[in-house]
Amino acid sequence: MERSRDAEPDEDDPRPDRAAALASLRELVASDRTRRDPGAALPLGVPALDDRLPAGGLGLGLPHEVAPEAEGDEPAALGFTLALIARHLGLAGGEALLVIAPGHPTPYGHGLSGLGLDPDRILLFEVGSDDEAYLAIEEALRTRGLRAVAGFLDAGLPLKQGRRLQLVAEASAPLLLVLRPARADLPNGAATRWRIGGAQGARDRFGCLLRPRWRVHLERCRNGRPGTWLLEWDHAAHRFGLPDALADHAPAARAGRS
Amino acid sequence: MRARIGTPLRVHPADPEADAAALVRLCLWAQRYTPCVAPFGSPEGGEGFFLDVEGASHLQGGEAELMADLAGRLSAHAIPARLALADTAGAAFALARHGSGRSIVPPGGCADALRALPIEALRLEAGLVTALKRLGLRRIGALAEAPRAPLARRFGEVLLTRLDQAQGHRPEPLVPIGEATAYGATRGFLDPISQQDTIVACVHRLMREIAPRLAADGLGACSLRLTLHRVDDVMRGLDLGFAEPTRCAEHVARLLRLRLERLGSDLDAGFGFETVRLDVTGTGAMLERQAALSAVAVPEPLALGRLADALRQRTGRRVIRLEPRASHVPERADMLAPWRNRAGRLRPSPEPVTRVTLNWPGPEDGLRPRPLVLFERSEATEVIALAPEGPPERFRWRRRLHRVAHAEGPERIAAEWWHAPAPARDYYVVECEAGRRLWLYRDGAHAPGEPAAWYVHGLFA
Repeated sequence: MERSRDAEPDEDDPRPDRAAALASLRELVASDRTRRDPGAALPLGVPALDDRLPAGGLGLGLPHEVAPEAEGDEPAALGFTLALIARHLGLAGGEALLVIAPGHPTPYGHGLSGLGLDPDRILLFEVGSDDEAYLAIEEALRTRGLRAVAGFLDAGLPLKQGRRLQLVAEASAPLLLVLRPARADLPNGAATRWRIGGAQGARDRFGCLLRPRWRVHLERCRNGRPGTWLLEWDHAAHRFGLPDALADHAPAARAGRS
Repeated sequence: MRARIGTPLRVHPADPEADAAALVRLCLWAQRYTPCVAPFGSPEGGEGFFLDVEGASHLQGGEAELMADLAGRLSAHAIPARLALADTAGAAFALARHGSGRSIVPPGGCADALRALPIEALRLEAGLVTALKRLGLRRIGALAEAPRAPLARRFGEVLLTRLDQAQGHRPEPLVPIGEATAYGATRGFLDPISQQDTIVACVHRLMREIAPRLAADGLGACSLRLTLHRVDDVMRGLDLGFAEPTRCAEHVARLLRLRLERLGSDLDAGFGFETVRLDVTGTGAMLERQAALSAVAVPEPLALGRLADALRQRTGRRVIRLEPRASHVPERADMLAPWRNRAGRLRPSPEPVTRVTLNWPGPEDGLRPRPLVLFERSEATEVIALAPEGPPERFRWRRRLHRVAHAEGPERIAAEWWHAPAPARDYYVVECEAGRRLWLYRDGAHAPGEPAAWYVHGLFA
């Protein structure tokens, strides 16, 4: 009865094997990273951020969750999601599917093109419920014809559905994003979880709005480190960037430090 | 024998085949009123056709207008015709053949309208009519009041079926004349089938029969109609649509399986289907593709079409895309349209191009920024502006006070003159102190003494 698990062979040979055990454990932990080929990730193009992500970017074929920081930040979260898709399509080409559950707005075509995302490469699918959305996402992941699949869901990605989608997505490895409202905060199976808040935009020399800017909070990340950054989005170059406090106009610089 | 009085008679031999062909031509013409046109012939006591105008009469302005239009057009072509409109095909037939002139029976009035008509109007065999008359049953009213059981025993089920069908107690399936489909296949079964798997397997075989004929003409099926004839004479039609032309039997079978799964017990196989027919109702040009050695790998452009089809069959919703429209009024500048494959859109189409395809103008084309989310109905706000013509300073929207940190504008967008006149709008891009960006507009120019009407129309990322 008293035989605890610690009393197994470990205690007999203490020091030299500990290093080996640690090494094997590290290998085990890192296997999730190394099993995939290193190219299967979407780098955000910001070294400070990419260094914190396990594969040097958002892992393809893994679900990533984006949520607004508070009520009212929904457009910022939507913008960040679409910017990620625009960056991926800009790098890899191809088409993307947006599965839109009730409660989420359908994006405006001219707004999409203003964000650097060609509306002709976007397929929209409006569903009646989250269950239908999971079904559509799963079907889309099986297709292998899409570079990116995004679900605008009402309840986010519960553990079971998340696991299921991940198993399907591993084969085709598209960029898989889930956008959810601020309130639904359930444990879920996303590889990374992002919270996006609004921030005052980047200005040009004349004080006019130049680029959207968001407060990006990496809340949870498997095999990575969380953090908070102020990111801006360059729609023409399909690139994220950190605000350059020196080069910008004074009000923008102030916003950048806050 | 030679006729010598008046104009010389010209004798034509009877040509039933030409008559039938003419009737079919007339039926095809009558499809201008409704897609469901069913011809009937001499076995039923004269030639003519049924029009099922349910849900279609309003297109002509109503039932009376439809009848008048039909009669006018027929007489203009010197086609003698008798018309009647009723709840049931049987009643309409009876009134047209034996009624007085053109008549429209109000809903539920079939039994009354039929009462005074002779029993020939029921589309019965001549022998049966004679036998009934011998019994003194000359009118349909008398027949309807007679006890049913002895009638059924003596004259068989046919008589009561016809009577019930005319009075609307029993449904009468019409067999609509299809546009003669060039591609179709039928399979009959000695033992009726009802299992989903069997139906799918049968359709798979039918499609494989049709596919070579389509391939020979360089076409693919854009839409299919599956007709299932049940043992008890009820017809069930299922339409399948495709995002792009196909002739792949596996694809058709897979879509049908999804559709049947969604239908579930609504399919109502009853005692089973005895005939299954598959028709290609729409075709499109299909590029030749190199046949892959393995059937599993589907090329990417094809895969998206497959996905769109599968989702449509599974959920009944279509995959859509955004399409630009030539308008500078924001809410009219884009629209949702069913998704089509890009490769398919680029393909030269045989029909003339009637619409100019637009590309999306970007910020590089001088277009002012447009919001990521545009409200279908702009939302009214209370705005405090420093100057009456100036940008907003503070505004209350969705029960919250927003302070404006930065405003750009105005961008004046006037209503299109070919629509109803509306005041021009002054749009401002507004950034709140919380970092949220909105699109506000003032409706109409400032008028002294009148409060300005402000609206939030969209949200920026």
